[in-house]
Amino acid sequence: MHLTGIDFFFWAVGFLENLGLLFVLWYRRLAKSFPFFTALALLSVIRTIVLYFVLNYGTKQSYFDTYWSLAILDTMLQLGIVYEIASRVFRPVGVWARDVRGSFIWMVGLSVTIALGLSWLASPPARTWMHSFVTKGTLFAAAWMSELFVLMMALSISARLPWRTHVAKIAQGLGAYSLVSMLIETGHSYFGVGGEVRTFIFLSRIRIAAYLTCVAYWAIMLWREEQPGRAMTQEMRQSIFTLQRQVEYHLHQLRSRKKL
Amino acid sequence: MTTHNFYFLSAIGIFVGALLSIAGYYYSRGRPSPQVNWEELLKKLTWIDRNTIAQVALDLVDESGEPRQAGDAANLEPAQLWELIGGLKGLEALETNSDVLIDLAFYLQQWYPEALVIAERLRLDARELKWHVARLKGAAQTGNLQVSFPFYAQRAVVTYYLMTRRLLDLYQAVNFSMLAKLQEAL
Repeated sequence: MHLTGIDFFFWAVGFLENLGLLFVLWYRRLAKSFPFFTALALLSVIRTIVLYFVLNYGTKQSYFDTYWSLAILDTMLQLGIVYEIASRVFRPVGVWARDVRGSFIWMVGLSVTIALGLSWLASPPARTWMHSFVTKGTLFAAAWMSELFVLMMALSISARLPWRTHVAKIAQGLGAYSLVSMLIETGHSYFGVGGEVRTFIFLSRIRIAAYLTCVAYWAIMLWREEQPGRAMTQEMRQSIFTLQRQVEYHLHQLRSRKKL
Repeated sequence: MTTHNFYFLSAIGIFVGALLSIAGYYYSRGRPSPQVNWEELLKKLTWIDRNTIAQVALDLVDESGEPRQAGDAANLEPAQLWELIGGLKGLEALETNSDVLIDLAFYLQQWYPEALVIAERLRLDARELKWHVARLKGAAQTGNLQVSFPFYAQRAVVTYYLMTRRLLDLYQAVNFSMLAKLQEAL
């Protein structure tokens, strides 16, 4: 495989950016809060190193196998991030919000069906069934991810569940990247893998550029402190957690009014 | 371009268009201007006689919000309840207002994240209230409204009543400057 200067540039920038993101996650002590997200950044660093060596010292087949095995792992980690975000947004007080549980299950089912439908409709010009399967698979993953992010946003706003700043930034970045990936995979499905090599490389570079933009966005946004909420005083906190007494007082007051 | 590819690209176009529309709609809905939002929210509240609500609610629960003992509870007659609540239309107003109450709690939660517990409680209350109203709408369709109304309607009113109390207490607890206006509206 012949690599040009721009490929090496993307490789180097991707490696450095992901290292930077890992540093931000460690320095801001966010790794514990976002384990899947941290794992994704770590995987990106490892993948860059592994693929570099496989490309230089391995065969074409071993590069193909390694690339797609890591791509599957990458997709699984992205799904883990979806869970991570959902558990932050839809489990505000430690338990899953009961009133959105049904909608969430329905949402996952619908999104899988639509993504399956789209990948079924695709007929990529491919030389082997494996190429065709991989193209359809990546289209399915990209479509599903973009659906999940949009529907999750819609559901949380409908249920008036707020997003904390860092969670929102991770979701925005991954959501936007999923949507771009979706369009890129549409291109791959239309033009095929390995057929129009130039088109394939061009589309892949756009995807990489989008991902690098995303990583830079995460590194900057996660470096910034979360917008702090106003801290309640001890008095306020007591008032909140003794609401039952307050209710009792108001009920009594209104009851006396009724007697009059 | 083959017919199959045409269908595929059309499906993708519709899919991406739908996703962007949904994202755009909810993004704009999730970012209302805070200053305008408060006044707008209060305007959304349908006026409901608070004394009537209290009368119906206190017939079923005691001062602590717990159900009354058998002999002391549910003294209101079904006909009285229907009149006091205003039938199904009255309950629909409660249902609409319960959504506004959550928005009001959410409004406050933007500044005080710790108010989350109450906002979450209100969301669950609203869910319960909607469940009661949905049962009554179902009963109306099967011709059993008269039998079901006293049971479900009174519970819906109790839920709404407790929601308003919780919200007022929340605003009072954080010394929010708009408490007086809210008290007036509720």
